[in-house]
Amino acid sequence: MLLAFIEAHDVCFAYDKKTAVITGLDMKMAAGSFTAIMGPNGSGKTTIGKLMMGIIRPDSGKILIEGDDTRQLDLGQTGSKIGYLFQNPEFQIFSHNLYDELTFIPRLKGAEEKSAALQADRLLRLLQLEDKKDVPTFSLSYGEKQRLAIAGILMGRPRYLILDEPTTGLDMVRKNILISILMKLLDEGTGITVITHDHRFVSHFSGQLLQIKEGRIIETGIK
Amino acid sequence: MIKPLEIRGLCFRYEAGTPRIIDGIDLDIPGGEVFSIMGLSGCGKTTLCYCMCGIIPHVYGGYMSGDVLVFGERAAEMRLPVISTKVGIVFQDPDTQLFSPTVEDEVAFGPENLCLSRSDIGTRIDECLEIVGLRRYRLSHPERLSGGEKQLVAIASVMALRPEILIMDESLSQIDSEGRERIKETILKLRSMGKTIIMVEHDIDNLDIADRVFLMENGRLRQVDKDRAGDAVGLYRGT
Repeated sequence: MLLAFIEAHDVCFAYDKKTAVITGLDMKMAAGSFTAIMGPNGSGKTTIGKLMMGIIRPDSGKILIEGDDTRQLDLGQTGSKIGYLFQNPEFQIFSHNLYDELTFIPRLKGAEEKSAALQADRLLRLLQLEDKKDVPTFSLSYGEKQRLAIAGILMGRPRYLILDEPTTGLDMVRKNILISILMKLLDEGTGITVITHDHRFVSHFSGQLLQIKEGRIIETGIK
Repeated sequence: MIKPLEIRGLCFRYEAGTPRIIDGIDLDIPGGEVFSIMGLSGCGKTTLCYCMCGIIPHVYGGYMSGDVLVFGERAAEMRLPVISTKVGIVFQDPDTQLFSPTVEDEVAFGPENLCLSRSDIGTRIDECLEIVGLRRYRLSHPERLSGGEKQLVAIASVMALRPEILIMDESLSQIDSEGRERIKETILKLRSMGKTIIMVEHDIDNLDIADRVFLMENGRLRQVDKDRAGDAVGLYRGT
């Protein structure tokens, strides 16, 4: 039995305490495995992602990250294990240029500047953003911002990734690059949960597929 | 015959000394057409949309030459409120488009500013929320909706203006398959009414409704076979 990296036990959640968004959620994401969360708009997919990351906490039930209840963890602790890509890259990017954006966390953690710079250069090359290195982040296109946000979360070398609609704004060339990056990370033992509508994208991966409707898992598949 | 949209020798760069992001585009788009633009991210698709709807040069500055003609009039010389009665644009990021306290207010904003009667505004709200499947959220705050639902509100609010030219800049990207099919059906209906629809798309599955597909690269447009659109950007169609 593979060890669960993230698990949810009978989780319920409502934003306004009146309308339940998530009801009776039970799920397990094994370390190093791939999970796709799919479902109609407004079914609660992003809310599940935020619960998994500890951005919001369950009203009842619990979410465990490597056995620790998210209610006992602060975001710094979850952030050191899990990289989270927001649905909208505008919410994620705050630095003036790409280089500062990518090296912000390593600098905050006191990493050696040279190794952070090398890692930033490598990711900018990998995501085909090297020619934008010196341009202001606000002048990037939406797709370029999305790629920068992906590079940003990879900088911290997290052991688990939660990616909310990672293919939005990506052209087909860059989508294929992302697929290769994620496959390599899976091979290296990084666990990944993708929240998406993109069936074509999901079809490249093997793992568990959770179909969500009205805040519940209505189907679990393995592929 | 005057076409809804004509582009003549259009060139644009955001800053002096930088390469042109649009480099000599000539294009005629007739009424009753679904016109699709593909291309790598950052190649200038959104910039071209901004030129088509007058955001460039009226809102965003830069260095522009050539002309965009909307029903024969130079967009650069038209007032933005006048252009917006003819050209509607759904932005890539719905968070930059929505600002009202309720979904209903958001959809009503355009028709209210066209000074329509209350009953006409109500009809348009009903009709557009039905199209996007959001009637139950009529009194909800758009901020409380999911990303895909926000995209649907943005589409409804632009459709409520009933523009002659509708530009959709990757507006289907976060919408579930059921919603996408419903919107594609609506686009085809609009086309049959003689409207012009311009779709910027990365998803080749959405190109089935396009009459013509153009690939944008190096600041120019090149027509491609829509059944081979994936190959045109150097890729296989996937599985």
